[in-house]
Amino acid sequence: MALIQTIGLAKTYKKGKVDIPALHDVTFEINEGEFFSIVGKSGSGKSTLLNLIGGLDTASAGTIIFDSKDLRKMSRSELANHRRFSVGMIFQSFNLVKSRNALENVELALIFGGVPRNIRRKKATDLLTQVGLGSRLTHTPDELSGGENQRVAIARALANNPKVLLADEPTGNLDSETSGEIIQILRDLNKNHHLTVIMVTHDLETAEIVSDQIIKMKDGKIVDQLTKTEVL
Amino acid sequence: MNFTDMIILAFSNLWRTKLRTLLTTLGVVIGIGALTSMVSFGTGMQKNVTDAFKNNDLFTSITVTSKKVNLDEIATGNVGQMAEALKSEGKPLTDSVLEAIRAIPGVELAYPNLEFAARIKLLGDSASLNVAAMPGAIRQYKPFNDLLAGAFFTSDTSRSVVIREETLSSRLKIKLLKKGGEVTLTHSDSVTGVKLMHPDSLIGKTISLVTMSVNKSKIPMALLGMMRKNPEMPFDETITEVKICGILKRQGEFGRGVFNGNLIIPLKTAEAIPKLGFSSVWDLLDQKKKEGAYGSIHVRLSDMKRMNEVKKALEEMEVGVFTISDQLAEIKRAFLILDSLLGAIGAIALIVAGLGIINTMVMSILERTREIGIMKAIGGSENEIKMIFFVEAAVIGFIGAIFGLVLGWIVTKIATFVMNTQFLPSGEDPINLFYFPVWLILGAIAFSLLISLAAALYPATRAARIDPVKALRHD
Ligand SMILES: Nc1ncnc2c1ncn2[C@@H]1O[C@H](COP(=O)(O)OP(=O)(O)OP(=O)(O)O)[C@@H](O)[C@H]1O
Ligand SMILES: [Mg+2]
Repeated sequence: MALIQTIGLAKTYKKGKVDIPALHDVTFEINEGEFFSIVGKSGSGKSTLLNLIGGLDTASAGTIIFDSKDLRKMSRSELANHRRFSVGMIFQSFNLVKSRNALENVELALIFGGVPRNIRRKKATDLLTQVGLGSRLTHTPDELSGGENQRVAIARALANNPKVLLADEPTGNLDSETSGEIIQILRDLNKNHHLTVIMVTHDLETAEIVSDQIIKMKDGKIVDQLTKTEVL
Repeated sequence: MNFTDMIILAFSNLWRTKLRTLLTTLGVVIGIGALTSMVSFGTGMQKNVTDAFKNNDLFTSITVTSKKVNLDEIATGNVGQMAEALKSEGKPLTDSVLEAIRAIPGVELAYPNLEFAARIKLLGDSASLNVAAMPGAIRQYKPFNDLLAGAFFTSDTSRSVVIREETLSSRLKIKLLKKGGEVTLTHSDSVTGVKLMHPDSLIGKTISLVTMSVNKSKIPMALLGMMRKNPEMPFDETITEVKICGILKRQGEFGRGVFNGNLIIPLKTAEAIPKLGFSSVWDLLDQKKKEGAYGSIHVRLSDMKRMNEVKKALEEMEVGVFTISDQLAEIKRAFLILDSLLGAIGAIALIVAGLGIINTMVMSILERTREIGIMKAIGGSENEIKMIFFVEAAVIGFIGAIFGLVLGWIVTKIATFVMNTQFLPSGEDPINLFYFPVWLILGAIAFSLLISLAAALYPATRAARIDPVKALRHD
């Protein structure tokens, strides 16, 4: 059975009396260990979809099954738990706490994960070393480059050993070389650490290289769906 | 997320905006400082008064007068009532009344009130002062049960007297050496001839009591003398030699005046001394006092619990009954009002500080919207986000309360110091105007926490409701 399954997923934002449809009848499956990419134009609903999977937002209609649990049936605190332990998220704009250094940003996730204080520091250090930032532990986001910030964000996303990594345009703010390094880290996590990766990107070319499955979105709908064999 | 982590997180968040945290906390410090110093003044006054009551065993004391006087009516300025009371014929307090009072169950002691003025000579110094007569049996009651030196007289006929420490220092230029306490003579002391003495060395010293009495046979001569411009007063001087048997401890400022008399003399001895004038202020109420009747009678109970029973029996005897314990209820009510008023002023200061906390928290939430979004994205639940803000507010409230208490304490110390050095006549024991009971300290901390948590209620709820999707949208 698939790790993630959506059936007829829809999301409509309500602004006063105006309904803004962001997603409509989205149905797909993601298997455990897959590298899954979502491509499409700006405003096509990619982030909305990712946020639904990540439990940051709730769907208006349809079903979304994550690891055999129905996200739409979860309470708010269960969703918080889902965000804490089941998924890790990274963003185009990194979303690190500016006033905290690399270690502290990772530790914040460990605090919410209930990791005891005495092993938090070591765990955060290990995670940052894993993404190649072992020598920049006490630097704040302002003192780090974009690529380095994204590495901190990845380390933080991995803090509570999630099943799935959700990346919303992780290379959107980076130059092509740095982008390549970040993609490489995601690929390594997927291939060697069996992490399921769901990535939103504009870059179809890269997506075609790394992905097992790609969906193309337009106006909140899936317009094309490619699998590994087709990609290759 | 456990509680220690929450505290650590709160501290690190507050530390990031040091100045703002400091100013907000300062508001609480001032609020709590105002509240505690105000309330501690109220409780201090109350403690001084009730302590004075306790130290003088006033709860076992009743004063009986010849007439029923409604002191409340007089206190409220009901002049008509007062005049009525003065005019009316009272029940003369004769020896048979005294005996009847003594027979009431629960009455331990009843003795007529007898005070008179006298000049005394002690160790070469002389002074005019007020002498009060008491039975030896009064020694079982405070403050007569615990003397500074010597012992209270036991016989009502002995020629022994008890002198107050204040009388020695203020009237007779004698300072007492005390155990532990440093007493030295100042320069002005030595100029005015103040002596430093050990209390025990005064015991057994002789006092000459000089009293005046009217000699009726001399009155015609006196009138003649006035016409011849060489007046001779129609008075006889009597000198009575008595010995000091004990020294009464200094009374606090608030215990002063409860019992008059600089010198306490045995009742029967006093009655035998020829003297002038009225015996007490209660006599003023009864100008038509009968010969052989007393102005007022002091009654002491065996137990304060028997107060009502004895009062009832006395009222049935148609005499005036005055108890200070009745007044205490009134005094307590007055203090309650005073305390509430002072407390309200302090509470207003604290509520203003609470508004400061709300302002700071709302500002902080606006600034930290993205951070809150991040915390939610990495798994922070609404309750945890809420708790973080509550803990931040509680930290401000708690630290503010602690330093506020310190501030309040400093203020009261300064006020006490100024009061004792500037307004209190020298030689008096220092007065403590303020009192910090444990309930006030704990109450101040609890109240501060309550106000700060209430202040955090809206900001914390607002923070918990922040939509992470909106908060995290890239700028
Ligand atoms: N909170 C919101 N309220 C109203 N409309 C919204 C809200 N969030 C998203 N939308 C709308 O939903 C649609 C999908 O937005 P979404 O952010 O998912 O697009 P996207 O594919 O991620 O675009 P981009 O590539 O620019 O990030 C857009 O038309 C957007 O205007
Ligand atoms: Mg997007």
